[in-house]
Amino acid sequence: MVHSGKESQPTIPRRRLLQGLGAAGAVSIAGCFGDDGDEVSFPLQVTFEVDADQADRVEWTQLIAQLWENTGYFEVDVQTHASDDYTNRIFDPAYPENGYVAFLGLSGTYNPESFVDALHGTANQGQCCNVNGLGYDELDEMIDQARFSTDVVEDDALRRERYDEIWPEVQEYAGSSIIHFVEDVWIHSTDVHGFEPTPFVETSLSYALHSPQDEVVTWLDENNTSGETDLSDLQEGGTLHYGLDANIDSFDPPYSLDVRSTFAQELLFEQLVATDFEGNLYPWLAERWEVLDVNDIDRSAYEDYMESVPVEDGAIATDEQVLLQHPEDSPGEDDEVRVLTPETVDDAIDDGVFGMQIRYDLHEGIEFHDGEEFTAENVVLTMERYYNSQLEAQTFDSLLHAVAVDEYTVDLYAQVPDAEAERELPGLYIHSSAQAELPGGDLDPREGTDPVGTGPYVFEEFEDESYYVVTKNDDYWLEDLGLDALEWWDGPEEFPAGPVIDEIDVDIVPEDSTRSGALQTGELHVTEGVPMDDLDDYEADDDFVVNTVTTGLYQFLQYPVQVEPFDDERLRQAVNHLIPREQIVDEIINGYGQPAWVMLPEFARETGSADYDALVEELREYNEFDEERAIELIEEVIEDRGYESSV
Amino acid sequence: MGLQRFILKRLLLIPPILFGVSIVTFALVHLTPGDPVSQMVAMNPNVDAAQEAELRARYGLDDPLVVQYVDWMAGVLQGDFGEVYGSSQDAAGVLVARLPETIALGLFGWVFALVIAIPTGIYAAVKKDQLGDTVSRFLALSGISIPNFWLGLMLILLFPLTLGGWPVLPPRESLASPAMLWYLVLPGITVGTASAAAIMRVMRTSMAEELNKEYVTAARAKGLPERTIILKHVLRNSLISVVTLAATLTAGIVAGSVVVEVVFSWPGLGREFVDAIHGREINLIMAITLFIGLFIVIMNLVADVLYAMLDPRIRYD
Repeated sequence: MVHSGKESQPTIPRRRLLQGLGAAGAVSIAGCFGDDGDEVSFPLQVTFEVDADQADRVEWTQLIAQLWENTGYFEVDVQTHASDDYTNRIFDPAYPENGYVAFLGLSGTYNPESFVDALHGTANQGQCCNVNGLGYDELDEMIDQARFSTDVVEDDALRRERYDEIWPEVQEYAGSSIIHFVEDVWIHSTDVHGFEPTPFVETSLSYALHSPQDEVVTWLDENNTSGETDLSDLQEGGTLHYGLDANIDSFDPPYSLDVRSTFAQELLFEQLVATDFEGNLYPWLAERWEVLDVNDIDRSAYEDYMESVPVEDGAIATDEQVLLQHPEDSPGEDDEVRVLTPETVDDAIDDGVFGMQIRYDLHEGIEFHDGEEFTAENVVLTMERYYNSQLEAQTFDSLLHAVAVDEYTVDLYAQVPDAEAERELPGLYIHSSAQAELPGGDLDPREGTDPVGTGPYVFEEFEDESYYVVTKNDDYWLEDLGLDALEWWDGPEEFPAGPVIDEIDVDIVPEDSTRSGALQTGELHVTEGVPMDDLDDYEADDDFVVNTVTTGLYQFLQYPVQVEPFDDERLRQAVNHLIPREQIVDEIINGYGQPAWVMLPEFARETGSADYDALVEELREYNEFDEERAIELIEEVIEDRGYESSV
Repeated sequence: MGLQRFILKRLLLIPPILFGVSIVTFALVHLTPGDPVSQMVAMNPNVDAAQEAELRARYGLDDPLVVQYVDWMAGVLQGDFGEVYGSSQDAAGVLVARLPETIALGLFGWVFALVIAIPTGIYAAVKKDQLGDTVSRFLALSGISIPNFWLGLMLILLFPLTLGGWPVLPPRESLASPAMLWYLVLPGITVGTASAAAIMRVMRTSMAEELNKEYVTAARAKGLPERTIILKHVLRNSLISVVTLAATLTAGIVAGSVVVEVVFSWPGLGREFVDAIHGREINLIMAITLFIGLFIVIMNLVADVLYAMLDPRIRYD
């Protein structure tokens, strides 16, 4: 009852919604231009809007306002709003017409699309996170071409080249300015060796504990505090005390959205593939995979297998999982829409209607913590548990179906050709058969079920809002099979086949200063997010190691591209030159960030560019602080457009 | 008979008081921008506007405020304080689960306050206007003036971080284990200090007053030892005002533990309350507020009743 069909709202990804809206949507957006009767004159009155709860962001907003005003061409009013209020404001579809410049932060992934589509994909407007309502069809098409076309699926190099065309295009268009990428700061005592975090806080611990793909392993050694160690010094055993900054809300993978829940699940559950630091994929629970088939189709190819379902209050009313929706239908406009559901998906696949077929051969001899053997059936059952779950939208954005071929072979199907399919499709935390049957949210110790996975640690104890303990899995499959079972493994012989620390003891401590204090008394070994003021002390202290990593979180501002004079890209390029990226990173966030010289962060360099360094070199000048160039451009706009100016 | 009627009358007043508290709290919570759903979906790009509306409808958050209040009240009257949004727990369950931690902390603070305050108060009264009195009065004034969150931070800085011996992290042991006493020391002192100071001042004043009374002179004239006079006669009489104050302060200790629990990461009701406010957990905020309100009303009643029992001259109408 808890998770009835009511939850399965039409979470068709926005990109497809737009295809449904078609030209009508674009025209109505275009119609906004020039509707505003006010004459544009310089100095221009501009309003900045910012989330009051983000102290750093407010600070650099004020700095940028000051620098804009210094040119004499702007009079800036900085408005702060409480967090939720702000979110509601900016995601209002009418927001772009206000003409405000909005300051925001957003998190991206290894998928380079996450650094461009979120801000610039027209379909995200009013939903997420494009708050300026870009109606830039050409760019939408370029983003689509870099992911959803057969040629990029088959040619990874071509995909990177496509992205290399997107970055300058976005730079030139300048609908938004990414200011910097945030750095996470990890601190651990010198007892901890080998700890390497990832750009994502939720996977950092599981990754650091044991990742043969990067030859990363963490161990404890109180007697060696020199900080210089290598694999030959590796010690087994011990309990790692980790300080987590917020409660673990859920242990149920498809029913959790926050990073702490994923953090907790990562120690217990595994996926078919693993990722290295740069986002490259490696077979994991699967021994290998192979793309068997790619069909050049779009979503309308499923028309014959679709059923019509009614729309109530702008939402699709069905208890079935909506796998995909007909691109010509829209719940916003039609009374019913055609959708594909699991009922007929097998027919479509049997008839050869699917975008991609990827075959995964599974390792034999993997056991869940409860002793069940892992087979292809677990993959299918797991996928079914993601139906109508909280993760349905992102799961069935690309995934069409999972079919068990035999006991140790499973096929995953993509809806359309998708260059991200190999990354996106196997992103399921594999469940045991028993737990795949549980109602949504019940896979949780608070509900009486201790989570069971195939992972290197076994659930031991959880006290809500207090602590979480896992112990080493004595029957870990990779230790039983040996690293040579991984076809790609070619690392040193002494590298362990599983994590070497016996127990992970996670203390849930929301107060940053308390966590920092516990680190100093030795009650914790590792934590993240200590108060900025303490960082210099840790840097200077020989008993601690400060480890920073650039994350996918980026801070940006968006221009109201529909409102004069911001509809002129030269003006947007001009104000982009008035953002002191280096100064903001150095002075406001004390150096814990990377100035965004391109919209792609360093960690995604392999996935989003053929030559990242060349890209940075090419685009850096657009993002340098340059008041002279800015004024030049503004004068050009004033002259060309005949705006009044008393500057 | 008078006392019984008085108690009955006061008990009858409790429902309207709580009713008022609930209305004010409910209105204030709704006046602040945002609701549990906006908290749940904030920065989650996968939730679209339709889903958000659906969530609101499911929790009844799109109804007019009055309807929401009536629904909530109807539930409370049947003992249902509503669920904690986005989880399967109910608000009353969370309250009951966290309460023991807060009671333990409050009790420790209260005992600490009495153990410190009563002897110091006696000492100050006996040594009135001498150096010892001045010093203890100075300390009492400091105790009242120092904000408890600052005191807590200073204790953390001094003991676990500088001198060592105490853990910074909150305990995992069950409340019944003896090790808990050790954990309770620092937050307990923090919670109890202001009360100790207040009680000490009252103790000193009423004791000094009693010492000037004629029966003390008479006792002295009879040749009773000073010790007997103070401990047997004067103390008993001066305790009347202290007992009532201590009852009133008990309520304050529970309310005051909100800040202390956050500083010490103490897993009690106060920390839960702060989290609930951040998460706009309306049902939980209401349940905890009502509980604290009820507790304060009852402790005030207890204070009045104790006062009457200890001093038969007091009559109520």
